Amino acid sequence: MTEARTTSSPAGWRSWMADYLGLVIALGGLILIFSLTTKHFFSPETFRTIANQIPAALLVATGMTFVLIVAEIDLSVGSVLGLCGAMMGVALTRWNWPLWTTIPFCLLIGAACGWINGAVAQRWQLPTFIVTLGMMEMARGGAHAVSNSQTLYLGSVVESIAATSFLGLSLPFLLAMLVVILAQFTLSYAVLGRHMLAVGSNAQAARLCGIEPHRIKIIVFVINGFLVALGAIIDTSRFQSANPNAGAGYELQAIAAVVIGGTSLLGGRGSVLRTLFGVLIIAVLNSGLAAVGAKDEIKRLVTGAVIVAAVIVDYYRHRLTKRDEG
Amino acid sequence: MKNQSRLLFVSFFCVLMTALLLGCKPTPNASATDARPRVALIMKSLANEFFLTMENGAKAHQKLHADKYELLANGIKDELDVSRQIDLVEQMIAQRVDAIVIAPADSKALVPVCKRAQQAGIIVVNIDNKFDEDVLAASNVKFPFVGPDNRKGAQAVGEFLATKLSPGDKVMMVEGAPNAFNGIQRKLGFEAAMKAAGLNIVSSQSGYWETDRASQLVAAVANEHPDLKAVLCANDSMALGAVAALRAAGKLDRTFVVGFDNIAAARQLVKEGKLLATADQHGDQLAVFGIEYALEMLRTKSTPADRETPVDLITAASLSAQ
Repeated sequence: MTEARTTSSPAGWRSWMADYLGLVIALGGLILIFSLTTKHFFSPETFRTIANQIPAALLVATGMTFVLIVAEIDLSVGSVLGLCGAMMGVALTRWNWPLWTTIPFCLLIGAACGWINGAVAQRWQLPTFIVTLGMMEMARGGAHAVSNSQTLYLGSVVESIAATSFLGLSLPFLLAMLVVILAQFTLSYAVLGRHMLAVGSNAQAARLCGIEPHRIKIIVFVINGFLVALGAIIDTSRFQSANPNAGAGYELQAIAAVVIGGTSLLGGRGSVLRTLFGVLIIAVLNSGLAAVGAKDEIKRLVTGAVIVAAVIVDYYRHRLTKRDEG
Repeated sequence: MKNQSRLLFVSFFCVLMTALLLGCKPTPNASATDARPRVALIMKSLANEFFLTMENGAKAHQKLHADKYELLANGIKDELDVSRQIDLVEQMIAQRVDAIVIAPADSKALVPVCKRAQQAGIIVVNIDNKFDEDVLAASNVKFPFVGPDNRKGAQAVGEFLATKLSPGDKVMMVEGAPNAFNGIQRKLGFEAAMKAAGLNIVSSQSGYWETDRASQLVAAVANEHPDLKAVLCANDSMALGAVAALRAAGKLDRTFVVGFDNIAAARQLVKEGKLLATADQHGDQLAVFGIEYALEMLRTKSTPADRETPVDLITAASLSAQ
C-alpha cells in the first residue's frame, strides 16, 4: 500500500498499478517525446541536472502535500523561502555568522512562519487561504527589508552544501529523497499520519475520536515551514547567492505538483511518493521544453494542459480504485 | 491554547510596532507656504534592486538640493502591476504636483494617463523605459525621454564577448520578460553583436528575469548542446542562475557568461572570473537626470530634447582599474 487513505485499499499489485500506472506512463511518455525530439535529452547529464534542480521544489511540495491532506492550503511557501534565503544571506555576510549556526537559524525562521500560519488560522478559526496570503506578503516584505532588496553574493561559503556528493548524487538530492521517504512513512504508518488523514477527511469525526484537529494542523504547518526553510538553504547554496525575490511562484508550482500526484485539494487523501512523480513530471517538462527551445507561449500552454490532463487522469484512477474497494 | 494565543498577540504586536516605527519616519513637513516645486517620482518595482538604487539616488540628490524641490517617491509592488502604476499617476494628478518623473511599467498602457497629467499642466518626464513611439504619435503627445540605450549597452557587452570566441561558436541567450521593452532592446543588442561576429545562436528563451528559471534553461540547453561556448543573459540575476547551472554541470571553466545591470553580486562574480562582463547603466543617476530635466523644464518652460545616459561595460579589467 503506497497511497495512504482513510479507508484501507486492497493490497496487491493491481492497486499499485492503479496508483502509479498513470504517473509512470505520463513521465515515461514525456521522456520519450523529448528523447525523440532532441539529440541529447536522453542522457545521464539531463537526469543529473534534474536531480540537481528538484530538491528545493521537492521539499516544498512534500510540505504542501501534508498541508493539502489536512484540507488546508499554504500560499506563503514561496515568500517564506525567499525570507529564509535572505536571512541566511544576511546572517552569513553582514553578521558574519558561521554556517553551522546560520542553518538552524534559518530552519527556525521557516518553522516559526509555519507556526504563525497554523496557529493564527486555528486560534481564530480563519481560512488558511487568507492567513497564508497575509504571510505571503509579510514574508516577502521581510525578505526585502532584511536584504535591502539586494541580491547578496555568498560565494564559496555555502558551496559545501550543494557540492558535497555521494556516488554521484548531491547532498541536497539525497536529503530531499530521505525527507520524501520519511514523510511517506509518516503518512502510511505513523500515528501522526493517520491522524492527519482523519482530520483531513472529516475534522468533526476526528474530534469525536479524540484527535485534536487544530493541534494536528499546527504541527503540519510547522513541518511545512521547516521543509520550506530547508529548501531555501539548498537553493541559496546552489546559486551561491541570496535573492529576496527567490521562490516567487513556488506555491503554485508546488500545488500543481501535488495535485498531479493525485493528492486531493479537499483533504483526507494523498501520497508523498506520488507528489515526487508530480515534481518529476514538471521538472522533465521544464527541462525538455527548454532543450527543444519551445516558444514561451507554447511552454505555458503545454504546462497548463499537462496539469489539467493529470487531474483528469486522476479522476478516473480514483473511480477505478473506488470500484475495487466496492 | 491560551498561552499560544497570548504569544501570538505579543509577536504580532511586536512585528506591527517595528514595521510602523521603521515605516513612519517623519517626513519633511510640507507647509502650505512651501514654494518649492513638488516632483513625483513614479518607479517600477521597488522589489527590484535596480529601481531601489534609482530611488535611493534620487533621495540622496533631493537631500543635497532640499531647497530646490520636494520629492514624492512611489513604486509598485512588481513590474507587471500596470494598473497600480496608472492609479499612482492619477493620485499625483489629484495632488497637483508640479512634475512627474516616470519609469513606465508598460510603454503603451501608461501613455493615456500621462497625457491627462500633461493636460492638467503637469510636466512629465519619461525615464528608463521609453514610451512607445507609435502610441505617442497616435495620441498626439510628446514627453522628453531621459535614459540609457539598452540596445547599445547590450551590443557592447556582446562585442566584448565576441572577442573571446571564434566564428561559428555556439551561444545561447536568456531573455527578460517577453513584454518588457528594455528586455527586448537587450536581446536585439546581443543579437546584433553575435551576428556581426558570425556566432551561432542556438537558443533564445525567456528566463523572466529570474535566477531559478534561467538556471533551468541554461542547464537544459547546455546538455542539448555540449559544445555551447557562451550564455548571454539580459540581466544579472539570470546570469547568477546561468553560472550556477554551468558550475553544477562542470562546464563553467569552458563557457563564458555575460549579464546586464552590474548588481553587487555580479560584480563579485566578475572579479572572481566566473562572469565575463556586465553593463552598468548608472541606475543611481537615472532618476536624478530625470528630476533635473523636470526642474529645468519648470524653470525655462521649454521642452528639451531626449537625452541618452551612459551605459558602461564592466569587465574584470575595468573593475581592477577603479
